[in-house]
Amino acid sequence: MQTAHPQTTTLRILRGTVTNGKLVQQNQDFTIPYDATTTVLGALEYVKGEIDGSLTFRRSCRASICGSCAMVVNGRSRLACKTKVIDILGGNEAKNIAAASVAVGEANVIEVGPQRNQPVLKDLVVDIEPFYKKVKEILPYVQEGPEKEENVTKDSFSQVNMVSNCIMCGACYSDCTAMVENPSFIGPAALAKAYRFVSDPREGNKTERLKELSEKNGIWDCTRCGMCIDACPKGVAPMEAIVKLRSLAMEAGITHTEGAKHAMAFKDDIATWGVLNEPFMLLKTKGVMGAIAQIPNALNLAKVGKIPHPFPFDHKVEGLDEVKAIYAELKKNPLDVKTKAADSGPGAG
Amino acid sequence: MAQHDIVIIGAGLAGLRAAFEGVTAGLNTAVVSKIHPLRSHSCAAQGGVNAAINPADDWHHHAYDTVKGADFVGDQDSIDMMCAEAPQAVLDLDKMGCPFSREDDGTIAQRAFGGQNFPRTAYAADRTGHAMLHTLWEQAIKYGVHVYDEYFLMELTSENQRATGAVVMDIRTGKLQHLQAKAVCVATGGYGRMFAANTNAMTNTGDGIAHAMRAGAPAADLEFVQFHPTGLLRSGILISEGVRGEGAYLIGADGQRFMQKYAPNKLELASRDVVSRSMVTEINQGNGKNGGVFLDVRHLGKHLILERLPQIRQLAMDFEGVDPIDEPIPVRPTCHYTMGGIRTDKLGQSIALKGLFAAGEAACVSVHGANRLGANSLLETIVFGKITGKDMVDFVKNREGRDGVATDSTHAVAKVSARIAALKARPREGGVRQSSIREALVNEMQENCSVFRDEARLNSAWSAIKAAKDGLSKMYIDDKSEAFNTDLITALEMENLVLMAEGTVATAMERKESRGAHSRTDFPTRDDEHWMTHITAGYDPATREVVLGRDAVRITGNPQYAPAERKY
Repeated sequence: MQTAHPQTTTLRILRGTVTNGKLVQQNQDFTIPYDATTTVLGALEYVKGEIDGSLTFRRSCRASICGSCAMVVNGRSRLACKTKVIDILGGNEAKNIAAASVAVGEANVIEVGPQRNQPVLKDLVVDIEPFYKKVKEILPYVQEGPEKEENVTKDSFSQVNMVSNCIMCGACYSDCTAMVENPSFIGPAALAKAYRFVSDPREGNKTERLKELSEKNGIWDCTRCGMCIDACPKGVAPMEAIVKLRSLAMEAGITHTEGAKHAMAFKDDIATWGVLNEPFMLLKTKGVMGAIAQIPNALNLAKVGKIPHPFPFDHKVEGLDEVKAIYAELKKNPLDVKTKAADSGPGAG
Repeated sequence: MAQHDIVIIGAGLAGLRAAFEGVTAGLNTAVVSKIHPLRSHSCAAQGGVNAAINPADDWHHHAYDTVKGADFVGDQDSIDMMCAEAPQAVLDLDKMGCPFSREDDGTIAQRAFGGQNFPRTAYAADRTGHAMLHTLWEQAIKYGVHVYDEYFLMELTSENQRATGAVVMDIRTGKLQHLQAKAVCVATGGYGRMFAANTNAMTNTGDGIAHAMRAGAPAADLEFVQFHPTGLLRSGILISEGVRGEGAYLIGADGQRFMQKYAPNKLELASRDVVSRSMVTEINQGNGKNGGVFLDVRHLGKHLILERLPQIRQLAMDFEGVDPIDEPIPVRPTCHYTMGGIRTDKLGQSIALKGLFAAGEAACVSVHGANRLGANSLLETIVFGKITGKDMVDFVKNREGRDGVATDSTHAVAKVSARIAALKARPREGGVRQSSIREALVNEMQENCSVFRDEARLNSAWSAIKAAKDGLSKMYIDDKSEAFNTDLITALEMENLVLMAEGTVATAMERKESRGAHSRTDFPTRDDEHWMTHITAGYDPATREVVLGRDAVRITGNPQYAPAERKY
């Protein structure tokens, strides 16, 4: 649908070159024509084709299935081929936590930059090797082993299908906040891939996998911020997969990790008192020495009012009986992990 | 320089399946890909993969449907082999972990596809290619296939009609390298990007076929280009035939179905060439809107659409702004698949260059002849990836490939290096931008060499080819740097695409009949007496032009495969 006088807007691209191992980045503005169907990828192609062939980005399928063109557009990681110019300009985006947390850019300007949490090679191209190295670490293939089930049914792959939508574009990895704090964190895409195998009835080493995933930089390093769910262009919801892996790991008795102990302490507190008791949780999670080591942190937090009253026994929680009844009910009728975590988006506890 | 037993160019389904054979046979196997393997266009295949798995089905019927779909110019020995091997090839993938959709009893589910007498298309929801590609990539990791990620093919090298390897460029650094190999396999897919409206990835520029032609391995069947009936109107993005398999209608601007006029039995599920011609005829007669017609799934109901066609619905919403639950989807015939490729024997080795193999869309084995059946392309990749892979292993272990051929890597690299330097040195002043060459070429191909062709149209297309070749000699690039020079890559891809377009127009001019996807309004009938043959297209480095030849269709003598009128 071409119009006679196409509208134009500014495409602000964060360009970068690496010279002698040092990255130098600078914004460059281009004026691009657009209509109702122009995508950010189309705009980038326009710039490369008509104005500056040296503009560098990855792209291939144009149909949001190959995963080449994930980049940061107006603060969020997305596929350029799936992101329409008018939707960005018109603020036509679904309102969600991630969008609200990102500063709104200048009006009538589309800001494009390379993915985060990965080294930039040139302009919008990042080094994808570290990302794939982590995916390979989870041994991404169905393994023979004692837990292999021979029977497959119509519903056997319902969980597999949820995560096997993943196109490995890296958008979740780019927007992962846990990665910022801990670059060794294996990341949402690799963990979603891991869940693809753990939930496959044909997989032979499910428990072994859960043990590995429970180790440092694995499932317990996710902060459950939910950014990966918002970033994913294919609806994979990596964080949900992570939550399910945690539940499965605990069900399998893999409870020696700080993450698992923390989760159990959390549950114990709620079931017992109806509220959290941070000092005791710390003790249960990290042990006596670990807890002592955290005292300076705790004092700092207490100073700025971030720790509630340290003595839990003063609390009288209303409705504690109801909380206890819920736990008793859950004990009688345990939920299937796979459905239990289905609605575990940000803020769902 | 690096040495491998087997070097495979292209990391889509065919390439990775061939690599699986090489590496599990204990050979040093490397795969070269200009994009990460998971970005390969195999991932975009939605509908499924044909195989006579169901006990009520019979691979002979599948083979007959394929011979007929090919309009009787497919090679019958290859077709028989593909259809007989199909069930095992699908079960192989299943065993590797591919999550194929299931029936209630756990058997692999199958759906109906066009041009076939049985619902024999296995699938993984509506992302079958994606599921299969991820599975084969997983196997490549498991078995340690050496992958040259983001390396671009610059030249296939040969000595005395024997393939010796490939000169490749590390895109990340711009460095050139000669990979020596005892067997080389081209699995770089097709070249559908030569048409303005296409379902192809931007990377589908026929690189491997063009380089094989330059190295002395002719292509064949280049005139046969498949126009898929249902590309999205604006973007050309594919809407799978599986949607019609689920019961979707094609309707005109008048809101009525029209396929009963053209294919009274199979209706929307007639062969793709038949459906595409019907749609263009309707559009030409004024029953279209904005140059397209509509694919209507509303009667299938929300529940089925959400369960079986979620990806399709998303594509229609993202790229056409239409929710198929409420509105019909605007579609038009769109270049989808190129039946032509490197002409090979029935196991996938070039008919002219020893040690050069081809598999998948880059090959012309030829199992598709003049028209490919839906869901036979994924099948070709996994059957011939496997068969050609095994033949390469045999070639390397037991045949001529045992002895490598001495080859001068330094010279090979220097030659390529000089070519790049010359391209970078071209001045902007008086030069031509690659985008203008591409735009002129793809519009001309769309207008004059697509669903309907005739002499006048093809002459016009031929002039455009000459103009494009002239443009290539003046084409300049803006980016002169070494690292990640995608400006250079797209320029080199353009050189490949123009050669493929030259071959396509030349063979379309040569074939004076209508067969399968090749429809000449000036020669409207099939002419078995003169044209039951493949037309080959080689490259003459002296004249820098395509040279045509003939290669016989391989006939098995099965009387059922005798040419008959194609009715659906």
